Amino acid sequence: MAIDIRKETAGRVEQRIVYESGNEMAAYAAHQINYHIMGYFPISPSTEVAQFLDLMKANGQHDIVLIPADGEHGSAGVCYGASTAGGRVFNATSANGYLYMLEQMPVQSGTRFPMVMNLVCRSVSGPLDIHGDHSDLYFALNTGWPILLCRDPQAVYDMNIMALKLAEDPEVRLPVLVASDGYFTSHQKRRVNTFAHREDVHKFIGEHPPEGFVHVLDRDNPITVGPYMNEPDYINNCYQQSMAMYRAEAVYDRIRKEYAELTGRDYPVLDLYRMEDAEVAVFLLNSSAEIIKDVVDQLREQGVKAGSISPNMIRPFPAKAIAEALRNVKAVTVGDRADSYGGHGGNMVNEIKAALQTYRNNDTLVISRIYGLGGKDFYAEDGFKLFEFAIDAAAKGHVEKPFDYHGHTPGDPAKAPKRVLEPMKYEDLKTGLITVTPDEETGKLNVRVPPLRSLTKKPKRLAPGHGACPGCGIFSGLELFFKGIEGDIVALYQTGCAMVVTTGYPYSAHKATYIHNLFQNGAATLSGVVEMFHERKRRGELDHLGLKDDFTFVMITGDGGMDIGMGPAIGAALRNHRMIILEYDNEGYMNTGAQLSYSTPIGHRTSTSNVGKAQGGKVFHHKDTAQIMAATNIPYVFTGSEANPQDLVRKAAKAQWYAQNVGLVYGKILITCPLNWLSEDKDGSSIIEQAVNSCFFPLYEVENGVTTITYNPEEKGKRIPVTDWLKMMGKTKHLSKPEYAETLRSFEAEIERRWNRLKAKHENPYL
Amino acid sequence: MVQVPKKNELGFFEIRLESIGGLGANLAGKMLAEAGVMGVGLNGVSFSSYGSEKKGSPVKAHIRFCDIDARIRDTSPVERPHVVGIFHENLARTVNVISGIYEDSTVLVNSKKTPEQLKEHLKLKGGTIAVVDATGISLEENNRVNMAMLGGLFRLCDFLDPEFMKGVIRKSLEKKYPGAVQPALNTFQRGYDEVKFQTFQLAEGDRMPDFVRMDTPVLGYETQPIGGTITNPGNSILKDLSISRAGKMPHFDDEKCIHCAACDNVCPDFCFVWEEQPDKKGRPQMFLQGIDYQYCKGCLKCVQACPTEALSSELEEEGYALAHRVAHRFDLAL
Repeated sequence: MAIDIRKETAGRVEQRIVYESGNEMAAYAAHQINYHIMGYFPISPSTEVAQFLDLMKANGQHDIVLIPADGEHGSAGVCYGASTAGGRVFNATSANGYLYMLEQMPVQSGTRFPMVMNLVCRSVSGPLDIHGDHSDLYFALNTGWPILLCRDPQAVYDMNIMALKLAEDPEVRLPVLVASDGYFTSHQKRRVNTFAHREDVHKFIGEHPPEGFVHVLDRDNPITVGPYMNEPDYINNCYQQSMAMYRAEAVYDRIRKEYAELTGRDYPVLDLYRMEDAEVAVFLLNSSAEIIKDVVDQLREQGVKAGSISPNMIRPFPAKAIAEALRNVKAVTVGDRADSYGGHGGNMVNEIKAALQTYRNNDTLVISRIYGLGGKDFYAEDGFKLFEFAIDAAAKGHVEKPFDYHGHTPGDPAKAPKRVLEPMKYEDLKTGLITVTPDEETGKLNVRVPPLRSLTKKPKRLAPGHGACPGCGIFSGLELFFKGIEGDIVALYQTGCAMVVTTGYPYSAHKATYIHNLFQNGAATLSGVVEMFHERKRRGELDHLGLKDDFTFVMITGDGGMDIGMGPAIGAALRNHRMIILEYDNEGYMNTGAQLSYSTPIGHRTSTSNVGKAQGGKVFHHKDTAQIMAATNIPYVFTGSEANPQDLVRKAAKAQWYAQNVGLVYGKILITCPLNWLSEDKDGSSIIEQAVNSCFFPLYEVENGVTTITYNPEEKGKRIPVTDWLKMMGKTKHLSKPEYAETLRSFEAEIERRWNRLKAKHENPYL
Repeated sequence: MVQVPKKNELGFFEIRLESIGGLGANLAGKMLAEAGVMGVGLNGVSFSSYGSEKKGSPVKAHIRFCDIDARIRDTSPVERPHVVGIFHENLARTVNVISGIYEDSTVLVNSKKTPEQLKEHLKLKGGTIAVVDATGISLEENNRVNMAMLGGLFRLCDFLDPEFMKGVIRKSLEKKYPGAVQPALNTFQRGYDEVKFQTFQLAEGDRMPDFVRMDTPVLGYETQPIGGTITNPGNSILKDLSISRAGKMPHFDDEKCIHCAACDNVCPDFCFVWEEQPDKKGRPQMFLQGIDYQYCKGCLKCVQACPTEALSSELEEEGYALAHRVAHRFDLAL
């Protein structure tokens, strides 16, 4: 039986109980605060925060301006700019997203503009792990942001409210990070007490940000934000910041007492559980620090004087309080949920050791264990294990093994990986059925493609057994494209559904060699592979491999990858590397739960462009990525679809020729996502066919700068009204209602404008 | 005050739902938990297991109930459930769905089979099997499987209030989908009413199997190639995805096939098996041999693409896929 030792007294303010997750509570607090601006970019597991806020916005429950940035770096920029303009600013991110914005963090704290960001902690990793550990959090330690921790959804709510007050305090004036555990806290629903009335939240934090601080919107008081500052001045700026950070501990202590009086919930800097007479202790952060309390109770029943120690704030680090709490403890195991490789312990254990040294506690033995990486669950049995190390050290008077991992496993040699499939044979991939020859006269390529029946002989590059949803359009689209490619490929997939569902460890559906890199950087990464291939080949270093032909290098990306990775894609195009970028466009960030992408058309419903009384789907038009890429003057750009298979295979063959002989090729295929388009699995190809026939997605190519429409629905008598296409999908059903007529008209006009411009280009080779 | 009927050493009554993505187990778990917490004043927690897979792949939902004054600290998955809800009986082929049950646990299965048959199918040593034909009910009532399963779960959790649940169903549907309210309520009620129970005593001297932690990997630091590189790619062919099919499947009629490859062009799962044979004039040509049902998720895109009637959409009957599978002839290295 779990006994609660922590006293909870009812507060003075009226409260309301909800049953929600950590992410829901972060959003709930933000909507009560009614921030001015949230700049965000979706990443699991923090994505839901923006989704919940968008849903509430669609229902008219708050006024926060939600800005979908082009990546986390962009989101941090949006937030920074907004905070210099004096209002209240909010963000939420995780893991790689946090690291992508990392360089902005010291800028925000160093120029002293407050805001609040939720870090929903998740692993930052090479092999991609999206589950919860503290490797992202530890990167935050040196950014100059005060860091509050949340052990459960209740704390997520409470800390979010206290964080803003802390950030805006005249003694502090720093951005504050609110960290909770991804999935364990963000996705588990609990009973949570909330302020029943928004006015009471505002009474606590202040209805408006405190006056008297500079911002960039006051014409009578112009200011210069972020000057060029060298030594000798910079160190003094840092000293001011350091002082503010240390003051934040006392300010926080004052705020949490006020909050406790109001709500009855208290979050002292250190959360101490049965530590009064503890002889052995375990130190953990966040959710596992709750589980360990059950273990403490059970050990106490067995007569072991066990206790748990866990901070609610790690920046500033409560060094003195920790040293004091451990004064009479014989041994403490510190569990770090992230390694500081080579540091003989994670960040927490080393800071604790430093604290003990500083405050002259040289008697407490310290054991360091790295645990729970990549979201590996923390069971009570793991807690007992951590206590065993401390009990053993206390009994022996020394630590047997100061540093180790806990929860790692050697594996059974009999189950070591063995090759399952023989490599594909070059002769099978080089069928000779497709021929591409340059036409000297036209400057274009002549392509001969056999009936598609013959191409079923060619081995597929992907193996069955991948974990995509039924009816997923990605894989039919990709394989159809690959049917037009002869010989060997090396593929790079940017992060996205296609990557995630084909490489769930220890399985891989890629028969050809495959690389993943994070989706802002695939084009740059493949550039490196391409150039290394040509240089090693030139030096004769590949001769022994008996390669019969050059590889065709293909980068696969979703439309999301072309948002966050637009810069590197343009960079690779301008450098004109011999490679193909193939985008599968399903009009949203489907891998993270169907958020809007810039390619999502106007009015379409996604999880961050909800439909409600105050909002009718996405508010701006879809991105024309093919035209953006064509403007880089690469040799070949195309669009294609599985509904026009011959057309796509011909374009693939051309793409290969250009990528092997000239330079970079970009192609976009529109594909269906039945799950998030809210359409029937079986309708995938038909929906795409109608998208083409409505002229929303014209099939064309830009070859050496000359545009050719390769399939004209008007000439074929196949053109349909846009609404005939839209009514096939649940995500656009609302657009037929009168209240969205204006959006529909705007969408139709934009389609017509772009189609007419394309026809003009088709007519004139100089356009 | 409502109290949970059984408790583990931490005071929890624990429920695990075993399903495939898309059947609504996650939502059912949320609704069940809300009925306990908001409906009858228990304390509780609910969550789902997340992986890299999408719709059609195995998922779990976890629910814990305890008395209102008990503090919830555990975030680990439910390893020792008092109740298991199995939304798709074929899950048992690839997942140990009854892992960690007690000899007095109850296992609710969506099935047309008898409890005796299911005891064999699940390799259950002891415990109570509850059966409800949730798929059949949902087809008849034109509603979702999870509503029928939810009804069955309420029957098993008699400390919850079905009337509260009906209120939630009504409230969540009546605004947007008023026409769906009555079918959902009927499906829920029939799920509640039509559960059949049978208890199997653990044999004398036998014991319930121990559970294996859900986070136990196949490989380890001594066997895993460094850097996470997969050195045996293409091994996804070892997977069986047939449980992804949600009731329907394509049938192939060789006689009507014109071998145009339209099906092959649109299949997301590479299920079509081709072979080179001489055509009427003796020239080598590709001929479609059939469907490898091990990988077919039943999306039926191929049926829509087929210009003849060679492919048709049919309800899946037990044993059909196994009997009619045309297996890919992979170039195996094993």
